[in-house]
Amino acid sequence: MANKRNRTAGLVLAAAVLGILVWRPTVLIYGLQAAGLYASIAIPMGLILGIVHIVNLAHGEFMMAASYLTYTICRASGMDPYLALLPVAAVTAAFGFLVYRLTIRRALKAPELNQLILTFGLAILLTQAANLLFTSQTRKLSFEYVSASVDIGDLSFGVYNFVFVAIAVAMVVGLRLFLTRTKAGKAALAVGQNPRGAAIVGIDVDRAYALTFALASAMVGLMGAVFITRSSIFPAVGSPFTMKSFCLIAMAGIGNIPGILASSVLLGVSENFLKAFRGTREWADIVFFVLIISVILGRSIRGKKA
Amino acid sequence: MILEIQGLTCGYGKLPVLRDVSLSIGAESVALIGPNGAGKTTLINAVTGLVKPWGGSIRFDGRDVTGHATHEIARAGIALVPQERELFPGMTVADNLALGAAYIPRAQGREERLLEQCLRLFPILKERFRQIVGTMSGGQQRMVAIARALMANPKLLILDEPSLGLQPSIVSEVFDRLSELKKDVAILVTEQNVKESLRSVDRGYVLENGAVVLEGAASDLAKDPHVEASYLGL
Ligand SMILES: Nc1ncnc2c1ncn2[C@@H]1O[C@H](COP(=O)(O)OP(=O)(O)OP(=O)(O)O)[C@@H](O)[C@H]1O
Ligand SMILES: [Mg+2]
Repeated sequence: MANKRNRTAGLVLAAAVLGILVWRPTVLIYGLQAAGLYASIAIPMGLILGIVHIVNLAHGEFMMAASYLTYTICRASGMDPYLALLPVAAVTAAFGFLVYRLTIRRALKAPELNQLILTFGLAILLTQAANLLFTSQTRKLSFEYVSASVDIGDLSFGVYNFVFVAIAVAMVVGLRLFLTRTKAGKAALAVGQNPRGAAIVGIDVDRAYALTFALASAMVGLMGAVFITRSSIFPAVGSPFTMKSFCLIAMAGIGNIPGILASSVLLGVSENFLKAFRGTREWADIVFFVLIISVILGRSIRGKKA
Repeated sequence: MILEIQGLTCGYGKLPVLRDVSLSIGAESVALIGPNGAGKTTLINAVTGLVKPWGGSIRFDGRDVTGHATHEIARAGIALVPQERELFPGMTVADNLALGAAYIPRAQGREERLLEQCLRLFPILKERFRQIVGTMSGGQQRMVAIARALMANPKLLILDEPSLGLQPSIVSEVFDRLSELKKDVAILVTEQNVKESLRSVDRGYVLENGAVVLEGAASDLAKDPHVEASYLGL
């Protein structure tokens, strides 16, 4: 079912993309770059939602914390964020593991509202901790490679942000291999479908949850390190990404990780499409709400018919 | 004794369900019969660690497993066919069966032989090997659940209402196969179908209101006036 949905979404996208490509290539280029960024932040959140069935409202804040960690390391040592990426991911993995062990685990059987309040509280905690430690002033690291650009004919555009597209694709492929080829991954997949059934066949459900949480935190930590190469950071920088990630996952359908790529492309390209006109530039932020509302409305109408 | 339960009490929240239940299983098959709500599933849940016992002890294969986690108990050699089946609905029959063996030490290296045995028991699963389990009928899913449990090469197989939703001809076939299996595997089975189950097991326990009220050889139980009146409809 998810496959069929992905295919139709893919076809519609392909047609739209071709049209725009001919007419205004930068819309597509920047749209894809934005999509890469959205998707690579949303995918780890989708992993947690698909397997642990927890909406982590502190997801964007995890990334923000990782960005500050990267900032601190790189400021102190002069290291490039790409070198700090692995240590930062290791730290956030450990952090995610601890958060799971100390908090999430106790709320697994609690009503959903309690789980939301818990992760929302974590988000506030992280934001305020960043405020205390770094103040609300924006921080930035500058690198020359970020402004790399390419000229084709009279078209000139920045290429650095394609790194996010590469990361998003690598995440989808990597997760697929992990979930279908490795013993721990298969266990996580089984736990995501039926935790009780998984325990009955000898899978340590608690371990699978902890592992999933740590893995997703490592992925978003890695994103935090890459994020700071091109954006300034401040304590609230993560929260819009929590929102967008959640909506992209809802659009794709829970558990449909490749679908997050498709919904991100849809969002990224439409946003940049509006930004291409002076008259609609201000509207770009609304696209997101229009998309999410129409997708969910469409799905519930289709659901009622079925 | 493979399984030895002594003085087990347990329940949900503050509601007690089982009161001082003792039960043991050797190299044999045992039926657990009783009316709806007697606590049969609760007893099974306590054995498999799905609910925490309040008191008493459960020993499996000479080891105390009281209150152990479900996955540890599964790895020790108890396979369960739950009343609610608890399959992986989005996966194929093949994947569900593979998961039955993948995390159980006793099944390692024997997956092929175990799979062959399961497909011989339920030939329909061979035809439906690549079908997504969530799209199968209730009875077919019941077969997948039984096969998945057998993939664990268990020392003790627990079946909670295995015939629920199965057509009568398959029910007697399942019981015939179970009596074949019991040469290698100890079996604990709960059944609404008391007649069929007492025909194919060695011993039985009657559980009413959370307590064992009768126990004995299956042939004796089948003749017991209380069992006849309450469960055999004579
Ligand atoms: N999860 C639960 N929470 C609270 N009470 C429960 C729960 N599961 C079962 N009970 C109660 O425990 C008692 C025994 O239920 P149990 O499922 O063990 O009966 P059973 O003998 O398996 O019945 P059946 O033949 O209908 O399967 C019932 O009164 C039931 O209401
Ligand atoms: Mg029951």
